[in-house]
Amino acid sequence: MTAAVAAPARLTLRMTMNTWLLAINFAAVAMVLGLWWLATGRGWIAPIFLPSPGDVLDAARIKIANGNLLTDVLVSARRVFLGFALAATVSIPLGVVMGVWRPAKAIMDPFVSLLRPLPSITWIPLSILWLGIGELQKVAIVFMGSWIYILLYTYESTRRVDPLLLRAARNLGAGDGAVMWEVILPSALPGIISGLKVTLAISWSCVLTAEMIAAQNGLGALIWQAKDWGNLPLVLVGMLCISLTVLLADWLALRLERLLLPWERGRRG
Amino acid sequence: MAAILTARHVTKSYDTGRAGRVVAVQDLSLDIEEGEFVCLFGASGCGKSTMLGLFAGFIQPTSGEVALRNVPITGIEPRCGVVFQSYALFPWRTVRGNVEFGLKMQGVGRAARRVRAQEFIDLVKLTGFEDRYPIELSGGMQQRVTLARILAASPEVLLMDEPFAALDAMTRQVMQEELLRIHAGNHKTTVFITHSLDEALILSDRIVVMSARPGRIKAVVTNPLSRPRHVAMQITPDYLALKASLWQLVEAELAHQDETSQFVPSPAD
Repeated sequence: MTAAVAAPARLTLRMTMNTWLLAINFAAVAMVLGLWWLATGRGWIAPIFLPSPGDVLDAARIKIANGNLLTDVLVSARRVFLGFALAATVSIPLGVVMGVWRPAKAIMDPFVSLLRPLPSITWIPLSILWLGIGELQKVAIVFMGSWIYILLYTYESTRRVDPLLLRAARNLGAGDGAVMWEVILPSALPGIISGLKVTLAISWSCVLTAEMIAAQNGLGALIWQAKDWGNLPLVLVGMLCISLTVLLADWLALRLERLLLPWERGRRG
Repeated sequence: MAAILTARHVTKSYDTGRAGRVVAVQDLSLDIEEGEFVCLFGASGCGKSTMLGLFAGFIQPTSGEVALRNVPITGIEPRCGVVFQSYALFPWRTVRGNVEFGLKMQGVGRAARRVRAQEFIDLVKLTGFEDRYPIELSGGMQQRVTLARILAASPEVLLMDEPFAALDAMTRQVMQEELLRIHAGNHKTTVFITHSLDEALILSDRIVVMSARPGRIKAVVTNPLSRPRHVAMQITPDYLALKASLWQLVEAELAHQDETSQFVPSPAD
C-alpha cells in the first residue's frame, strides 16, 4: 500500500533525472562531433589522418545505396551466429555436467587451463591449414574464441545453486532428475544467459579478426580492404557499423533475456 | 495417542577442524504425539535447529535414532515437510508454481494440481497473487507461500524452523494467528522452533526447553493455555503470570546448567 502511494513521486523524480542524463548524453556526443567537424574543416588535422564527418557520411551513403554494407553486416552476423550457436550447443551441456559431476570437471580442467590463455587469433594459422579460408574457417575461429567462456560461465552458474533450494526441493519429494530440471537448470539460467551476452561481444571481435586476416567479405574485410585502398572514410564507416551491429545484437540479447527470465524483471527494476 | 515422531538417545556432533568436535545435541530423547504442536524453545546454539535437521533427514545422528512412525529416518524425508526461516521459495516459479511443486513431484496431474494448489493459496489468504513471483512479495507473504507450498504437499509432520523470526513484530503476530487458525483446522503434527517465549506459549501444546553446549532438554512444559487462542490474550493477567512462572523455570534451568558447566559467579553475585 505504502509503496503504491510513494511510487508516483519517486517515478517523477527518476524521470526528471533520466531526462537530464539523456540531455547530457546528447550534449557530449554533439560536442565531440562539433570538435571533429571543426578540426577537420579548419584543417587542424589533415584528411589523410582523419576524414571529415561529411566525407564519412558520403562514404556511408554510397555503401548503403549499392547494398554492399548490408551484405557485409549480414555475412559477418551469419558467421558469428553459427560459431556462437555451435559453441553454446557444446559448452552449455558440458558446463552443466562439469558443475554436477566432478570427474567431468577433472577431465576438462587441464584443457580449459591450456586453451583459455590463447586468443582466438592464434588459431588462425592452424584453422587455415585445416579448413582453408572459407566460411567454415571463420565459424571455427568464432567457436574457438567463444566456447571456453560459455563453458566457464555455465559451470560457475551451475555450482552457485543455493543449497537451501536443493534441500527444499528434495524435502518436497524431488528426485535426482527433478532436482536437475526443476532447480539446478532454472537457477543457473540467469548466469548462463549473462555469460552468453558477454561471450557474444567476444564472438564479434573473433569474426572481425578472422575477416581482417583472410576474407573476401564481411565487416572486418571491409575495413581492411578500405585501408589498403587508402579510403579512410570507409574505414570509419566500417568501424561505426561494427559498433552499431554489436549494439543491436546486445539489445536483441537483452530482449531475449527478459523474455526467458520473467522472474528476474523485478530485480532489475 | 501414539508417538508419530521420536528421538531416541540422539547425539549429533560435528568435526569443526581446528576447534575440535562440537556436540550440538547430546543424548536427547523426545516423543511427539500425533496432532501435537510442540515448540522447541532455547537460545541460539542450543541445537534446536540441529534437531529439526535430524527430523527432516537433512543430517544423520552421530548416535541414537530418529524415527517417523517407528521407521528410522535415514535420508531426506518428504513426509516431514520443512518451513524454512528464509522461505527457500523457487524464485523462477510463481506463487502458484511454488505451491504446485510438491504435488508435481508426487505425480499429480496438471488440472488436479491447480485445483489443490488454489485451495491452499486461498487458505493462506493469497488469493489474487497466484501469478506473482516471490521477489514481488513482502516477507510475510513469502512465508505464506512457503506454508501453502508445504501444506499442499500434505506431509505427515510440519517442521518449522523459526519461520517468523525474520518478520517484523506485527506481521509475526498476524502469521501466528494464521498458524493457529490453520492448525485448528487440520491438527497437523507440528514441531516449531523458536527463541521467543511468547511465540512458544501462544502456539504450542508442549514446550521443550533446551539448553546450549551441548544441546539437551532441560524441561518439558505442558502448555495450560486453553484453545482457541488469540494473540490478544498475551496481555491478560493469567497469561502474564504463566509467562513469569515459565520464565523463572527457564532461568533456573539455565542457571543450573551454568553451574554444571563450571560457571564461576562474580563476587557481586
